[in-house]
This record gives sequence, structure tokens and C-alpha cells, in this order.
Amino acid sequence: MKNSWFIALRELNERLSNRSFRWMLFIGPLLVLLAVFVLVETSQQGVESMKVLVADPANILDGKITAHPSQQLEYDFYNEYLDHEVFKNDARFNGYDALIEVNHKVLDNKTVRIFYREQPSFNLKTTMRFDLEGRVEEVMLDQFSTMNSNEFRKIKQKLNVRFMDVDDPLNTSEEETAWVGYSLGYLMLFFVGFFGMNITRSINREKTNRISEVLLSSVRPNELMMGKILGNLLSSLLQLIFWIFLIGIGLWAFKEFFFQDYFIPDYLNQTQVDEQQMSSLGMKNTFQENMSLELLYYRINYPFVMLNFGCFFLGTYWVYSSLFTVLGALSGDESDGQQFSLPIWIFIFLGIYAGFYAVSYPNSEWTTFFSYFPWTSGMVAMVKICSGVTTIAYSLLFLAFAVQLFVGTLLVFMAGKVFKQGILSNNHRVSFKLLRSWLRKN
Amino acid sequence: MIELKAVSKVFGQKIALDDLHLTINDGQIFGLLGPNGAGKTTLIRILTQILEPSKGIVYFQGAPLNFSDVKAFGYLPEERGLYKEMKVLDHLLFLGRLRGMDYKSAKLSANHWMDKFDVSSWSNKRINTLSKGMAQKVQFMGSLMHNPEIIILDEPLSGFDPLNIQLILDEIKDLKKRGKTVIFSTHNMSSVDDFCDEVAIVNHGTLVIHEKVTSLKEKYRTGDYKLRFKGNQIALANALWTSFELLECRELNQGQFEARIRSRGGQKFNDVFNELSGAIALEAMEEQLPTMQDVFLKLVTNEK
Repeated sequence: MKNSWFIALRELNERLSNRSFRWMLFIGPLLVLLAVFVLVETSQQGVESMKVLVADPANILDGKITAHPSQQLEYDFYNEYLDHEVFKNDARFNGYDALIEVNHKVLDNKTVRIFYREQPSFNLKTTMRFDLEGRVEEVMLDQFSTMNSNEFRKIKQKLNVRFMDVDDPLNTSEEETAWVGYSLGYLMLFFVGFFGMNITRSINREKTNRISEVLLSSVRPNELMMGKILGNLLSSLLQLIFWIFLIGIGLWAFKEFFFQDYFIPDYLNQTQVDEQQMSSLGMKNTFQENMSLELLYYRINYPFVMLNFGCFFLGTYWVYSSLFTVLGALSGDESDGQQFSLPIWIFIFLGIYAGFYAVSYPNSEWTTFFSYFPWTSGMVAMVKICSGVTTIAYSLLFLAFAVQLFVGTLLVFMAGKVFKQGILSNNHRVSFKLLRSWLRKN
Repeated sequence: MIELKAVSKVFGQKIALDDLHLTINDGQIFGLLGPNGAGKTTLIRILTQILEPSKGIVYFQGAPLNFSDVKAFGYLPEERGLYKEMKVLDHLLFLGRLRGMDYKSAKLSANHWMDKFDVSSWSNKRINTLSKGMAQKVQFMGSLMHNPEIIILDEPLSGFDPLNIQLILDEIKDLKKRGKTVIFSTHNMSSVDDFCDEVAIVNHGTLVIHEKVTSLKEKYRTGDYKLRFKGNQIALANALWTSFELLECRELNQGQFEARIRSRGGQKFNDVFNELSGAIALEAMEEQLPTMQDVFLKLVTNEK
């Protein structure tokens, strides 16, 4: 085992001396952070405040639009027909950023057109839509009912039908957080696949440059193989820790310096008011629309999730590394190794699909199968852990982890046999016949 | 002492070694010879425990060879292999540590060997910046780093220039002086002539012969003598008469000749000298013992 450690450290040093590996330590997390930033920012792009002219020739809205005017929106009324071309070109309307065209049949056709000079932000669009909907509703109530708006909104509220899992009556599992689990599972499989291929490449390189014979005169084949698996694990963990650390710092920096507006009390109060209003309208609020922020900062129990991520990462790496080792020992040269990695990548893609499937159908029989199948169980476990699991379900996940370790150990043992025979062979053709004969040899 | 008893190795249908019995005594330079594909490398891989014999057993110092003995072995394989991205010193340290050395003694040993081969200035150079010969030296040093008792060198001289060949040969002689056992596999027969104590010739996986170099040369001596004389060729031919065969004669200078003769009756050096000295003015005479090349060719050809 001591020799395996030396070999592992050498593998790690080789990765560290590789410039692209060092660059990836920083570029990878930066790309992820950039993606998060773009995702959040693009949802907030556009003009943040507007002066709006409401053209209402039939005076249907009666010069009123909302009892809770937003600071970002200022409405003026114009009780004549106004064509949007006139609005665009006439100097009298230059002071307005947008035109709301309320047609005289709005109560029947339920259509309002809003012409803007510059694209309003997502939040502003949502607020304008709710203001208009609320006002049209009030007008309709006046005309067609004796009810006031509060009474109507009580009646109007949708029947809240909730599907509950009998094993999870508190409904702690949630689809949105499951997608975070899916993303983590994706990251896990990406790292396992990427660094697993390094094992294959490394074995092939040693076969090509003939160092393996020198090594095997000092260490047992199993020690050499374990050193390679361990060395690549260390380098992938190092990369992963860097990613997690830098992404963590980046998210904190985003919260403190870039997304401040979304976390200040005024904004939250406003969104709470909106929430009440919109809930009464049977709609989601703006904050819910910006789900990514809420998911990232409030709904994930990071210490718990990362602890489990670490365990399942090791388990998943363990079952895949044996396959990559067999491939390295079996292949005659480096190009063979890459070419015949396809079956392993199919397993990885199956894992990615299994995660997607587990998010969509968390209780199906296939999800149960995927949650115990060692090459997909890591991904499914992350989905389940992030979406919230009961104690029983959690213990079953650890059964899946135990299956991973058991199958991984069995495969590593078999890989050892192939490795022992294959490490001194090169320039041969990969075949199942060869694999079978090497597995039979002692 | 290493003892191979009834060692066989089979790869599928191919018999690489067949019932090999061999003893290699301590403190000698042992030549392992054979044509390509004879089974030398398989035998070496069994000794270094890279391969296990299909049948038979290998004893080391009286006990069956086991993996803990690898520390007593230093191995330079025929096909050299180094990590091309590593620095020379790091590589030597890595090889030393794999052979059970702690960091401090590995570093001391690496520095000792680099000084000895006058290559200390390379310590921070990457292997891929070295010439082939330089890389060979690094690998040679790597096989000796841990001060092994048994050193197995498979074609150690290939790839070296004449200066470095001499350096390596001197080092091998020095190892012998220090009581080490050197197992030397080569196609370079002149190096076997120079300093091997014993040789084993392997062909088609079987042991053709195992003897001391001196007795092997004695056994295969042909009674050839080389002489330098003054006089004329007719006088020499008359002196040879029926007891000798003239193989070759050429004039070196005016009246000075060099000839090669073969004794027909197993005469000793003195007999030859006495018979010839009355007829020609002998300036020099030496018996020409067979080279290992001659013995090797004879044995391997006979095998065929």
C-alpha cells in the first residue's frame, strides 16, 4: 500500500505539473460562476422604471389602475384613441416610455397591448401585467356583479390540489431542489468520466514508454493499479475541491456585491406584498420566478448535501475507475483506449438520463432500479438527497452506496487480473477473447 | 545464490521456458546469452517476479523467491522506460522509494550516483530534454540506487557511445569487486569475453550450456595459434609439415610475416614453439582461444 501511495503521489504531481490541469482549477469554476451570473442577470435585464401612458378612449379603467402604485411605474391616462405610430413619432408623447392600449372591448376580448420604447425588465413587465389584470377584474366586478373585489378574490382562488407521497406526507421533496441534485450528479459523472479517462491514458502511456516493466519489478500489479486509481482520485478531488471552494466564494461575492438588490429588506418586503397580491390572483410572484437565486441561497442544505456528495462521488469513482483500468490494460495503444471507452461513456450517459428520470418520476420502478444500479446510483442519490428524503429513504440510499462499494471492489479485483496480464502487452488488438483469457489466468 | 529448479513458462500454446535448471552463485558476473526469442527476457522477468513460472520454483538464498526479495534486486530492462515529464532527481527518488528506501537515503544515493557519473548538473532537467544515452544513464543509476545484491542488466550497453560503454563496464566490474552478483544479458559477445565469470546459453526455452567462461573456452579451443616471424613463408610451410595446418599468412613488412596456424595433433604451446623456432625467427606467438562469439555460434548452430 505504501508503494501505491508513492505511485498515487507521482500521478498527482504529474497532473499538477500539467499546465492545462492547473488552468482548469480556475477556469472551470469561473465558467460555472459566469453561467450563474449570466442566468441571473439576463432575467433582470431591461428598463427598471417607466412612465406609462394608458390610452383608454372608452374610459373603461376610469383613470385608476392600482391602489398600491409601484415606485418604478408612473401611469398617466389619455382618453382618446392613440395609434402606436403616433405615440412613437409625436413629440407630445416623448416623455413616456410605454403606451398601454386599452381597447373598448377589453372586457370581452381580454387583450391589452403594451408598446415600449426600450424593453422593460422582467420585474416591471410582471408588475404591469398584475396591475392591469387587477384593475380589469375590479371593473368587471362593478359591471357584472354585486361582489366587491376582496370577496371575489376569495371565491376566485384556485382549488389547491396537492399530490402527497404517503412516505413523505410533509412533502419535503421538491422538484426544484431535485434539479440542484441533478446538477451535482452531472458534475460528479463529468469528473468521474474525465478523470477516469486519465487512468486509461496513463496506463497506455506507461505501456508505450515501457516504464511499466521497471515499476513491476518493484511493485505488485495490484499496487500499481491501486496507485493509479488513487492518484487520479486525488487529482479529481483536488480539482473538485477547488471548484467547490471557488464557486462557493463566487456565489458569496455575487450575493454581497452583485445581487444585493434582491436581498435587501425593502426588496423582500415588496416581493412579499406582491406575493400576497399575486397569490390572490392565483399567480406566482417575481421572486419565485427568479427561482435560481432562491434555490442557490436558501433552499439547499449545503453541508448535508456536500457530505453525501463526497460519499457518492467516491462510490461512483470506485465503480467507474475499475472499468477505465480494465480498458487501459486491455488496449494495445492510446488510440485504442479512447476508441473503446464508448461503452463506459454509455454508462455515464445512462447515469445522466437516470438523474433526469428520477427528477421527473421519483417513485417509479425504474427510478428504484437506477438508485441501486451502481453506475447510476450516485446520480439518483444526489437527486433524492437534494429533493429531501425521509430517514427510511436515506438508509436505502446508503444501501445503494454499499452496493457501489461491493460491486466496485469486485470489479477492481477483476481489473487487477486483466491489468496484471495486460500491462506488459502492447500493440495488440482489443477483443473479448483476450479479455476472457486474461480473466481466466492467475 | 539463485537456483532455478525445473522452471517452465508457457504463454498459451507457446513454451517460452522448458524445464530449466540453473544455479547462479553470488559475487560473480553471470552472462545470460541466447538468440532473439530464446527465452532470456522471460527468464529475467521470472527472476524479477514480473512473471510467475508456470511450473518449477526459484530459490533465492536457499528459500523460495518471494515478493519481499525484490528489494535485493536491481533491474535494467532491455526496453528502457522513464517518465518523460519527470525531472532526473525526482525520477531517481521515485524509483528509490519504490524499492523501499526512505526519502533521505534515496536522496543521498541519488546524489552519490549523479556525482559518480558526473551528471549532477542534470538533476533538474526533465527526462524528455535528455539524449537517449543520457536517459540510459539515468535508468542505469535507477537500477543501482537501492544498493541491490543482485543486479540484472538486460542489454545494458545498447544505445551508449564507446566512452559510456567503458564507463558502464567499469561500473559493472566495480560492482563485482563489492561482492554483488551481476546477471548480464547481452548480444555483445566481446563484453562477455571480457569479464563474465560464467555464462548460460539459452535457446528455444531450454538451457544449452552453463559453464565458466574459461572452461568453456578451454572446451571449445581449436588449437589455433597466431605468430609473427621473420624469414620466409616456404620455411614456415616446411616447419609445419604434417602436424599443422596453415590457415593464413600475410606479410607485414619486408621479410616480416604474421600467420595463423592450427595444430592437428593437440600439441601444446611449448611443442609448437619448439617445432617452429628452429625454422623461423619467431618474434611473437599466442594461442587463439575461441571467442564467446565462436562458442555461441557453434552451440546455437549445433542446436539447430
